[in-house]
Amino acid sequence: MRDVAIIGVGMTKFGKLQDKNLMDLLSESSLKAIEDSNTAESDFDALYVACMAAETLNHMTGIASALVDRINLIPAAADHIKNGPASGGSAIKNAFYAIASGACDLILVVGAEKMTHITTPGFVTSAVATITHHTAERLHGVSLPSFAGLLTRLYMEKYNVPKEWITSIAVKNHKNGLHNPYAHFQKEITLEKALTSPIIADPLQLYDICPISDGGAAIVMCPAEMAKEFCDTPVLITGVGQATDTHIIYEREDITVLKALQICSKQAYDMAKKTPEDMDVAELHDAFEILEVVESEDIGFFKKGEGAKAAYDGLTEIGGKIPINPSGGLKARGHPLGATGVAQVIELVWQLRNEAGKRQVQDAQTGIICNFGGFGNNIVSILVERM
Amino acid sequence: MSETTIIWKKCKKCGKLQHPDHIRCLQCKNTTFDTVESSGDCTLLTYTILKAPPAEYRDKKAYALGIVEFTNGVRALGQLTTIENLKVGMKLKPKFEKLTANLDGHEVSGIKYEPL
Repeated sequence: MRDVAIIGVGMTKFGKLQDKNLMDLLSESSLKAIEDSNTAESDFDALYVACMAAETLNHMTGIASALVDRINLIPAAADHIKNGPASGGSAIKNAFYAIASGACDLILVVGAEKMTHITTPGFVTSAVATITHHTAERLHGVSLPSFAGLLTRLYMEKYNVPKEWITSIAVKNHKNGLHNPYAHFQKEITLEKALTSPIIADPLQLYDICPISDGGAAIVMCPAEMAKEFCDTPVLITGVGQATDTHIIYEREDITVLKALQICSKQAYDMAKKTPEDMDVAELHDAFEILEVVESEDIGFFKKGEGAKAAYDGLTEIGGKIPINPSGGLKARGHPLGATGVAQVIELVWQLRNEAGKRQVQDAQTGIICNFGGFGNNIVSILVERM
Repeated sequence: MSETTIIWKKCKKCGKLQHPDHIRCLQCKNTTFDTVESSGDCTLLTYTILKAPPAEYRDKKAYALGIVEFTNGVRALGQLTTIENLKVGMKLKPKFEKLTANLDGHEVSGIKYEPL
């Protein structure tokens, strides 16, 4: 297998982008990544487009074919990769293997979602809930936030954890997002305000949940041996992993354990010959703040049941033992579904290139992401290092 | 068997108890099963009160969802008949009721759980 490098990245701002449609988000982020990687004159072998719900939310199909035409990457192979909210991670993983195998040299990966134009109450909630098990879960009226509510209560009861330890993560992520010009929210919140925000799926409150956002994120990848032809500061992808778990969440022996993350992060660590202790920074999938808790445990940073306390004690802040979500995470950066996995990797690229400004983790050399699909039944992990 | 019985199945080879949707055993990939009916006490493992339901369930402002486990190990997820005085570990009774008038254009009924 060949070593694989990221040679350029680009993002739109995340948020409510009223004047931009899905194709605009895909195009804008792609062109930024092409510019950042100095590949404007190059021929691409492949394009992977990550987007969860273009059919339902935008009434569009064939978006990868549409994008190669719009930004002229013709005749590059073009595929639309769908793995729910982990589509971005899946697309990067597929690009990694296409380059590592020698099949492709230059690949553009772009993820985007256009969501905020939908105004029908509950429509987006319903569209996302179609990813749950149809008969065992969906027909009973579940939503993804309701799963997070079930998990939050179970976790609090099992490990005797007060709600404020979990919700403190929202405060930390908003504080980080303040310094991220691409974030949906660039404002601090107080723990008091978060703990008095409206209940959405008891005990889950509004400030425990990421917003609905528009946005696009793109990266350009090539073999490491070619990377210096294009840029001075390539970042290597040295580990990737992906694993699945039961579709029905209550069939998992312990619902507070993300077995798929334990497996896929181990794959990534083993491939890179690294351990959790070697990580300088991480981007985890905090669509709900309880997820950052359980992910920080199952990716190997903290023992089971200790993730919430660790966050409350500041161990995951910038400057802490293991900074998590310096970007602001899904909570503050926003969560345009298909773009999220790509945006997580982009944040690590900026951190490793020492370009993260006021949210810079000092001397970050190595980092890992968790991109969470479904409700933990299809998870991707990607490990990056300075070249 | 009644309309409030949860039907699961048990692998004939390894004995793993599982939801009937699995065509190959969740544990050993075997394809032959015995039918198992929920029996014994029904206990609430965790619950949430959803105040922002998906579009098809917006005929209600809020409802509780719970994961329950019967004494014989059969588990299920369903709506609870009330949002008041719920507690993890409480005993419940299955009840067949309308869930929503409009899931994919159809009225859906199913099992809800009522505190004893």
